[in-house]
Amino acid sequence: MRIPDEERALAEAARAGDQDAFAGLVRTHQRRAYLVARAIVTVHEDAEDAVQEGFVRAYQALDRFDSSQSFGAWVNRIVANAALDIARRRKVRTTEQLSDALQSPFRDPAVDAELGRRLAQALAKLPERARSVIVLHDVEGFTHAEIGEMLGIPGGTARSDLHHARQKLRGLLKDLRD
Amino acid sequence: MSEELKFPDRASKTGSDSLSESEKVVVRAAYLPPIEAASADAYWAGLERRIMSRVRAEGAVESGWWAELVPWARIGLAAAGVMFAAAGLINQQIVAADKNIASYESVVDSAAPEALLSSDEPFASQYGSAEDDATAVRFFLTSQGR
Repeated sequence: MRIPDEERALAEAARAGDQDAFAGLVRTHQRRAYLVARAIVTVHEDAEDAVQEGFVRAYQALDRFDSSQSFGAWVNRIVANAALDIARRRKVRTTEQLSDALQSPFRDPAVDAELGRRLAQALAKLPERARSVIVLHDVEGFTHAEIGEMLGIPGGTARSDLHHARQKLRGLLKDLRD
Repeated sequence: MSEELKFPDRASKTGSDSLSESEKVVVRAAYLPPIEAASADAYWAGLERRIMSRVRAEGAVESGWWAELVPWARIGLAAAGVMFAAAGLINQQIVAADKNIASYESVVDSAAPEALLSSDEPFASQYGSAEDDATAVRFFLTSQGR
């Protein structure tokens, strides 16, 4: 993967202590990092905490960042680790809480409200890792290997989790079929 | 019968069993921050400010893997101090016990049978006792010394 020159320059400047350059990297990558974190922890507030924690850890570890690699992929792995730490610490949430967490009060008019409600309910019923894998792969477009690295599992396990998650999701939504 | 969901633009058209495009749109919307689209830019700018505020506050404090060791080093130093004090106390007690034993042995050595033997020999020779009597006296005196 070719790393954009601007990103490489920002990463090198940030490593040299330029905080404005690091702010530029945050601006570029925080949205994707948020989606990665949210796919793991589901709840918005936890995802925000994971993103903040992840970027702070990344800043502290900049001397170990290889600027020939993608900063986004690197920071996403760190944010995913922070999200996994939060997921391990937090109390278990009920299916209703998770379903509520996935239903934004501000709906996009283009989104089918009934489908959204049913998908949120179905996703909330999936096991935690299966939910993360299906969102990261099918929605965010990460590869099995990338998901494996982020979640600390082999790529093959991510692939098999994805297969089972899809089957289960379809089972939960089968009454929506024509 | 197909197990796939039948949404208008479902992914089966592409030969994949991933979520359909309409499902992806819905799921993606569910995983976005719960904010109105109009205020999205302000939300992300705010999150960036909070991140950078934490980076300025915490970022420069710890800058290497060894920083992870700092809290453990404090605990280790405290534990080492306690162990050092305990070892000193034990050593002091051992030295005191050794001194007591040395004093005891010096007392016992000064009352050794050889010393008594040499002192009662003139007595035995003076009174010209039989050897058996001298042995009995030595035995008696030695036993008293202990």
